[in-house]
Amino acid sequence: MQTVLNLLEVEPIRLLISFGAVLFLVLNLAAVLTMAERKVSGYIQLRYGPNRVGPRGLLQPAADVFKLFTKENVSPGRSDLWVFLGAPIAMFIPAALVWLVVPFAPEAVVADLNVAILFFVAITSIGALGVVMAGYGSRSAFSLLGALRGAAQMISYEVPLILSLLGVVMLTGSLSLVDVVQAQGDTIWTWYFLPQLPMFITFYIAGLAEVKRVPFDLPEGESEIVGGYMIEYSGMTWALIQAAEFASMAVISAVTVTLFVGGWQPPLPFLDLGPFNWVWFGLKTALIMFTFQWIRWSVPRLRMDQLMDLGWKILVPVTLIWLFVTAGAMLVF
Amino acid sequence: MLGEQRRAEHEGALTEPASGRLASPDIRDEFGLETIDMNMGPQHPAMHGLLRLILELDGETVVRCDPVMGYLHRSKEKISENRMYPAVIPITDRIDYMNNIAMEYGYCLAVEKLLDVEIPPRADAIRALMNEFGRIMSHIPSVGFLLLELGAFTPILYAFRERERIQSIFEAVTGARMMFHYIRIGGVKADLPEGMTETMWEYIEGLEKRLQPDFVDLIGGNEIFISRTRGIGKMSQEKAVEMGLTGVPLRCTGVEFDVRKHYPYGWYKNLDFDVITDEAGDVEASYRVRMGEVRQSIRMIKQILENLPEGEVLGDLGRRLRPNEGDGIARIESARGEYAVHVVSDGSDTPYRVHYRTPCTVNMQLLQEIVPGHYLPDIMPIMGLIDPVSGSWDK
Repeated sequence: MQTVLNLLEVEPIRLLISFGAVLFLVLNLAAVLTMAERKVSGYIQLRYGPNRVGPRGLLQPAADVFKLFTKENVSPGRSDLWVFLGAPIAMFIPAALVWLVVPFAPEAVVADLNVAILFFVAITSIGALGVVMAGYGSRSAFSLLGALRGAAQMISYEVPLILSLLGVVMLTGSLSLVDVVQAQGDTIWTWYFLPQLPMFITFYIAGLAEVKRVPFDLPEGESEIVGGYMIEYSGMTWALIQAAEFASMAVISAVTVTLFVGGWQPPLPFLDLGPFNWVWFGLKTALIMFTFQWIRWSVPRLRMDQLMDLGWKILVPVTLIWLFVTAGAMLVF
Repeated sequence: MLGEQRRAEHEGALTEPASGRLASPDIRDEFGLETIDMNMGPQHPAMHGLLRLILELDGETVVRCDPVMGYLHRSKEKISENRMYPAVIPITDRIDYMNNIAMEYGYCLAVEKLLDVEIPPRADAIRALMNEFGRIMSHIPSVGFLLLELGAFTPILYAFRERERIQSIFEAVTGARMMFHYIRIGGVKADLPEGMTETMWEYIEGLEKRLQPDFVDLIGGNEIFISRTRGIGKMSQEKAVEMGLTGVPLRCTGVEFDVRKHYPYGWYKNLDFDVITDEAGDVEASYRVRMGEVRQSIRMIKQILENLPEGEVLGDLGRRLRPNEGDGIARIESARGEYAVHVVSDGSDTPYRVHYRTPCTVNMQLLQEIVPGHYLPDIMPIMGLIDPVSGSWDK
């Protein structure tokens, strides 16, 4: 046991092991989230959702994964095979990498980078690459349209996403996510979502667009371009895209919680759970993800031009104005 | 055949410069941009069955939209010629499979005109009653489909809850949930079962309560729904009349035309109802018209149930029908528009010719006329405006 703990002292090995643990977590989270998604949609839609496999249908994700593993991996005849097969990986890795800087608890963070927010911004924008690769590699008009939409959407929503982070960075004076959480304190009214409310809402909306959830699921647009960039995928490549989507949804929720809703901090000081404060982090993340799913099953999809209007004409000005307000307030107080 | 022909035309069109249709030819030439040809359907989830659209896209803007029909052609008219008169009714059931009862109704009315027979008043009332249930059963899911195509998945399940309940009423009355074969030449198959009027009354009152919260407040007030549907598929009254549209696509432009009102048939003469119209002529207007028509149907069902005449429901016309030479035409208002049946008799026990004028075939012209200039995702709400049914346009 002691040797194992000693090994953890060695930085590369510690990183490797903890990243392995995070990867394990992400993959399982994706499975749990598919189940949650189907149950939530079921209850919203006056039905039960999966309830046949295992107790209360809880083994459904396992059955799904088994089915997807046994499915043949079909690739279109004229596809650009390397690009086609590389796309799911290019989508999944960024979604998993962001978890490296997310603090679950004061000590439980794989890498407490002093530029964690920059890392988050840089890595999430790579996600668009996977979408473009998938759309281009499949060589289908439908997937090409999906990829173009995906690229345009993710690049234009990157701007309000980053701008809405700046308020938090200004207030904290640090790019480290651990510092951000510690600066927010352990009372609900000192968390940043109150003073930064417009930024919080912008970040939430831009995050929704970033992870391609309804009402911003245009790259998929299942009613007009039938799945968009992922139309040609099957079997495990498709499963990897799905896992990437769920993982990025989870990571956006986690980052939202870290930046605006106090991370692992309890809402009131007497609710401090000590070493189990990660429970607060988990609960808050789950709540944000639930709202994502709630929205997913409640509203229709926007159109591409309306999406761009919302991003450039509303969200960007709002964030810019609030940046000035924040700066002014910091100058005065 | 039509598909083949269209394909040949299309391939020809590809080699020709399509510059006349493009939005900005100068920019196009300067940068050497091209349009994408896209084949949407027939296997496409939003094509209301089996419709194929040949699209030419300039980015996301549709430059050209050619609908190709015929993928669900089942020779309904030819089959009808080879069956005895009563045996055609199950064939008509399968024309518009969202609103089957109206299809039976139109055929039976046409044959009755040919035979020149009187229908027992109770049968007439029950026909109108079931026909209005059929309209609700078609309009509510069509609103659900519209939302489904806009990307909201949930309303369709609420819509199908209503449809399922009406189907249960139909099952109790006719014995089938979908292919009823209930309206017969000279009346209806059977009287309403015991206690059915109470069940219907209860359901209709429940629906009246649910309609506002489930289908009006949740859908009509949604900001995204409004932004996706307002001004989409907009057409003028003149255009709508010129294209020969009927039903909701016509009424949503403000033209007051309803066969039930202007050429009343059956029990509709005794009913008091309004023709719902809307001025806007876009997708949102069609949604409002559909909801208004559901309310009118509820009103009509209440009137029918309040004074349902007593008596026989099926007259005795003999075992084998041999109408005299001649023809009979019936026009009715189905959920999708004017549905007309023309039956020609040569004196034998099978029709000489049956023609079904289905509203969808005519209303589908809209796609070619209205869609160019819209964005690709706007095709789906425009399909929702027409609300076509594959079986209905192909027959």
